[in-house]
Amino acid sequence: MKPFAAALALSLSLSVPAAAWLTGPAQAAGASDTDAERLARWQEIRTSIFGDKAVAETDSLIKVDAPARALDAALVPITLTMPEKDRIAAIHLVIDDNPSPYAAHITFGPAADPAEIKLRVRVNNYTNIHAVAETKDGKLFETTKFVKASGGCSAPMGMSDEEAMKGMGDMRMKFAEAGAGKATEATLMIRHPNFSGMQMNQITRDYTPARYIQKVVVAQGPRNILTLDGDISIASNPVINFAFLPEGSAPVTVTASDNQSGRWEHSFPVPSPSN
Amino acid sequence: MFPTRLLAAAAAGFLLAAAPADSPVNVPEPEGFHTGPQQGYTPPTLTGATVLAIDGLDRLVADSAPVLIDVAMADRRPAGMAADKPWLPAHRSIPHAVWMPGAGAAPLDPAHEALFLRRVAELTGGDKAKPIVTFCHPDCWGSWNAGKRLVQAGYTRVHWFPTGIEGWQESHETAVLKQDAAWAARPASEAQR
Repeated sequence: MKPFAAALALSLSLSVPAAAWLTGPAQAAGASDTDAERLARWQEIRTSIFGDKAVAETDSLIKVDAPARALDAALVPITLTMPEKDRIAAIHLVIDDNPSPYAAHITFGPAADPAEIKLRVRVNNYTNIHAVAETKDGKLFETTKFVKASGGCSAPMGMSDEEAMKGMGDMRMKFAEAGAGKATEATLMIRHPNFSGMQMNQITRDYTPARYIQKVVVAQGPRNILTLDGDISIASNPVINFAFLPEGSAPVTVTASDNQSGRWEHSFPVPSPSN
Repeated sequence: MFPTRLLAAAAAGFLLAAAPADSPVNVPEPEGFHTGPQQGYTPPTLTGATVLAIDGLDRLVADSAPVLIDVAMADRRPAGMAADKPWLPAHRSIPHAVWMPGAGAAPLDPAHEALFLRRVAELTGGDKAKPIVTFCHPDCWGSWNAGKRLVQAGYTRVHWFPTGIEGWQESHETAVLKQDAAWAARPASEAQR
């Protein structure tokens, strides 16, 4: 990460006046405008999502990790870590400079082990990524990371729309080995192009209409693990890593629906705990 | 099972018809404007104009305060997106550039072309020798066409910065730009994409 980006990421996690945190001699003239602009952008988005609710900075309740420079802007891996997992009710992921910035909202159910979530997103431009944790007492806490990637929202998939939609709604789930009484890690893969609506068909010059996974509900039996509200900023063929606290032998069920009429349901047998 | 997205593959796919199939990155200059898709490999040259890399642009900006013209397309709210999703596009670009999205389209509505040339005349103070830089994104024909349009209009120091916004932000800060007010007020046209 460049010093500027590091300074910016740090700066934005501090709620102090813009002028006070511009101290680096290496910063170009006009950098203060940029920092103030990025902060103003976050405030605009924050207000549109959370209204007047306070969002405090945190370096302990949630951490966001992403490559500072992404190899593929259409497939940027994000890791959200919640060290005090027992306090966490939900998380929100915001990609500030994406035109549709509210990438994901995940609420955790009683069967969740919300210590870590991984997913893959599209990044349209060099941007701050904000992760917001919602605690069980309804408070909001945010952290941020600056990511260098661009063009992810409009990048074509490199195949025809028909081909990209083949097998839409197919799912796979992988479970990691878990000891008895421990949380089980799971990786859910959903085949879906998650068309952003910003991808142009190179031959017809038409935009492929947005078709994206809007909601994913994961549960074991009647016990909810998580509910994801998605957006066009989620990468095609969504993959999400999470953990849950298995109870009994009921399968894990996944219900996914998109913004058109797509709705898919799959269930996956839970591996029996090994000792 | 989960295929990767390859811009190059897509671009090469449609260029097979438009350029030598064996050298998709050595695209010849078209006779006039490029009228195909705006996204795709561009030529290494623009006759009548100077092609700039970032260090050349830095020198020009420092020495000659050129008029910077960004013709990158504006993000459009995707059809089919849920109405309650926040849609807050912000166009990040080279600070102090004048943003006229779509001004590099070809064909361009004659009224829009006239407006584009009028705005450039205003921005250059009527000085045809004033340095001008056109840019958009990498592999974007819009800025090539816009540069071509200015060469044809008689500007003598036209520069084309092919790596555009992405080339700039590698080493510089960007700024959020609003559309040029006069350009934003243009009447809608069917020709715009």
